Amino acid sequence: MRAIIIVGLVIMCFLISYQVPLKEAFSDDTKSCLRCHAISTLKKTTEKGDSISLFVDSKKFEKSVHGAMDCSSCHPNITLKNHPVPKKIYSKADYTKEFSSNCLNCHSKDTLMKNKAHGELVKSGQIYCSECHGYHYIGSLKDWKNKVSFNEYCMSCHKFDFSKTLPSKEKISLRVNEEEIKKSVHGKFQCLVCHDDFSKVKHPIYNFKDKRQYRTEMTRICTKCHTDEMLKKNPAHYALTKTASCIECHGAHGVKSAKVVKSLPENQYCLSCHSRPLSMKMQTGETLSVQVKENEILNSAHKKLKCTECHKEFSTTQHPVRKFASINDYRAKAKDICNNCHQDAVKKYDTSIHAEAYKKGNPRSPECIKCHDYHKVTYISKDKQAGSELCISCHTESGKAFKLSVHQKAILDGKQNAPNCVSCHNSHDVLPTNIAKLEDSCIKCHKDSKVTHSKWLWNPPIRLSSFVDIHFKSASCASCHTNTDKAVFLTLVEKSKGKPIKEEDIAKSLNIDVKEVRNKIDQNKDGKVQQEELWQFMNLMKDKAKSNLAGRIDVLNANDAHKIESKDKAIKDCAYCHNPNSSFKVKVEINKEGAKPVKLETDSKVLNSAYAIPNISDFYVLSLTKIKVLDMLFILALLGGIAVPIGHITLRILTAPIRRKKREGK
Amino acid sequence: MKKIYLHPLPVRIWHWINALGFIILILTGAQIRFVDSMGLMSFETAVQIHSWLGFILLINYFIWLLYYVLSGKLFKIYIPPFWRPIEFIKKSIKQAKYYGYGILIGDKNPHHPSPENKFNPMQQISYLMIMVVLIPLQIITGLILWDPQLFSTLSSLMGGIQIVSLIHTFLWIFFSAFIIVHFYLATLGHTPMAHIKAMFTGYEEEHENH
Repeated sequence: MRAIIIVGLVIMCFLISYQVPLKEAFSDDTKSCLRCHAISTLKKTTEKGDSISLFVDSKKFEKSVHGAMDCSSCHPNITLKNHPVPKKIYSKADYTKEFSSNCLNCHSKDTLMKNKAHGELVKSGQIYCSECHGYHYIGSLKDWKNKVSFNEYCMSCHKFDFSKTLPSKEKISLRVNEEEIKKSVHGKFQCLVCHDDFSKVKHPIYNFKDKRQYRTEMTRICTKCHTDEMLKKNPAHYALTKTASCIECHGAHGVKSAKVVKSLPENQYCLSCHSRPLSMKMQTGETLSVQVKENEILNSAHKKLKCTECHKEFSTTQHPVRKFASINDYRAKAKDICNNCHQDAVKKYDTSIHAEAYKKGNPRSPECIKCHDYHKVTYISKDKQAGSELCISCHTESGKAFKLSVHQKAILDGKQNAPNCVSCHNSHDVLPTNIAKLEDSCIKCHKDSKVTHSKWLWNPPIRLSSFVDIHFKSASCASCHTNTDKAVFLTLVEKSKGKPIKEEDIAKSLNIDVKEVRNKIDQNKDGKVQQEELWQFMNLMKDKAKSNLAGRIDVLNANDAHKIESKDKAIKDCAYCHNPNSSFKVKVEINKEGAKPVKLETDSKVLNSAYAIPNISDFYVLSLTKIKVLDMLFILALLGGIAVPIGHITLRILTAPIRRKKREGK
Repeated sequence: MKKIYLHPLPVRIWHWINALGFIILILTGAQIRFVDSMGLMSFETAVQIHSWLGFILLINYFIWLLYYVLSGKLFKIYIPPFWRPIEFIKKSIKQAKYYGYGILIGDKNPHHPSPENKFNPMQQISYLMIMVVLIPLQIITGLILWDPQLFSTLSSLMGGIQIVSLIHTFLWIFFSAFIIVHFYLATLGHTPMAHIKAMFTGYEEEHENH
């Protein structure tokens, strides 16, 4: 059917064409083409449904720069012998692309690249020749350039949707929406008013590193007219221009009067700029986004607050320019903002190991924002798992251990009273675990634990809770409720008060550097504290201050303390601890100011040494800490006890004749 | 042969409870201490027996104390005549000489027990120490070790739990050796079983000719 239609069309064209007068100037080749293509209604529909007109206006074509050329010059594949054939064209765009490649037959790529800007376009392959230059009626570029307005000249390319990729991988769209310009405050401007380094003959090419540089450079264009002097009339706005580029708020081409109505609700006033992707630069060169997402605020715990309730130094009339050394510095200062309302939380935080580490410059250590975010500040999540994940994002090993615990199971089972990290470690006053009294946290939930323990943990004949207490005091809950390696930790304390002596205090009293303290204990630096080394150190310390070693049983690896097992798997065998042959490691623990303590591996024989009596005077675990030399004494005493009767009996046997004689003599 | 009623019933009851208790306490004490190398019983059982017996002997001690205080014999029997020190020392030396030498050559025991003067000078000084100092000390230290939290003040008064444990262990060692010697000395009556029998019957036989 299709073939019949085509044949019919061709016959019709020939019949009609003889009626159409054709100029003699055209070659026979062109004439024969125009026989059909002069019909204004001739068109083709692509597979996609676009309509392509196949009409060629001979008059207009004649005037074009290609007027004297044969059709075959540009359509080399079409001759009367093979045309018309049903050619499948998917879309107009495809056709444009395919056809534009024919231009390159005469206009070599090198010529097209001569003009840098044009070259960039050709190279990008985003726009095809005919999209700018048209098809059959291509006029003289020179004439066009002279006649055309500046805007028309620029828009001839920039109306297309093309973009530039910066080295930072960011993309800048180079499309200019003419309508947007017309509606803008700069509607009557020619492009060149702003882009004065461009002209019909000049098209510099910028090589911006990133969007930030692009925005900064573009801002210079604005300040040519909108001078600093003018901007200073509004101090808030002036300050803003020093932190943000013009186009971030005002846009590039659709420049609208960005006069923010001061009567706007305050948050809306601030957000009229800060809802945009603004950023600020720290002295270190780091950039910090100061964009505020309105929906984040509206979903936050602070949704009812005004911006200035936190950002007190800002207002609709004041916008000071602030300088921060680094993002860390900025975040540290943000704590002061939180402190305006949340004094209790900040006070607690200040005592925490996190605060201490932050002060010491640990970049991973959290302050308010690290956990609560800038504007996302949420209500305390009821989702316990999510609450834990925040901590686990840094404390990965503890997180892994916790996930094996009965507590994690309780969370997954949706138990209301299931604990997550903060249940034991607190949220703000997170203390080093050796002074955090974590056992209290266990008892907070397991309120009847003393009673349940005293059901089996008691010494006959009287069931006393104090017997449970002493065990709670000497061993951490995790010691019995995890199936992990255990150790005896010997902490250096003041003898009278039991207060830990910190590494800094030791350094001070021994008049040495803090870093030297470790070597003062482990004198041969073999990584293990031998008995002699420990007692020598204790003697040294005793000269300075009354010190002692406080002992406690705990898990060897602190992370393992999270692997709490179910009750039925807890250790109930007394001889697990009460055994001189237990596999417990011994660690000497030196506390540090607001940080994790130093833990030194120690010869476990120290527990059984006679020197432990004065030096570890308050830590006593039946059998485990027995003084071994007394065992020898016991054996000797037994032998002595036996030797007395044996000796005496021997003497009596030997002297029996004397007694016999004496009796007989009588 | 003269029979002297030397051991009144309360004393005999006290003695035998004490004797059995001591032996078991010493053994369970050893089991607790040598949990890794002794297999008499489990640690838990040893501790339970030790604790129960500790309290039984604590009560038992008060039976003894009460009896001797109320009967007024404590002073007569246990307190050496410190107002006659030279005589007492002389007698002690004589008694020591008897055990070390006299007994071997068939001398008579210089001490003749009577209900009012039960112990020879060496016994007197040892039992005074044992009954008034060592056993109370063992009871107190035992109590502290039984519940260190409950008796923490007492413990710190004594210089810390390590010292308490040290005292308790020392006394355990002492009593272990003592009980062997004590048992041997008990066989040194006119017959090996004489004193032991007396401890059951209360009557000590004294051989006139011996």
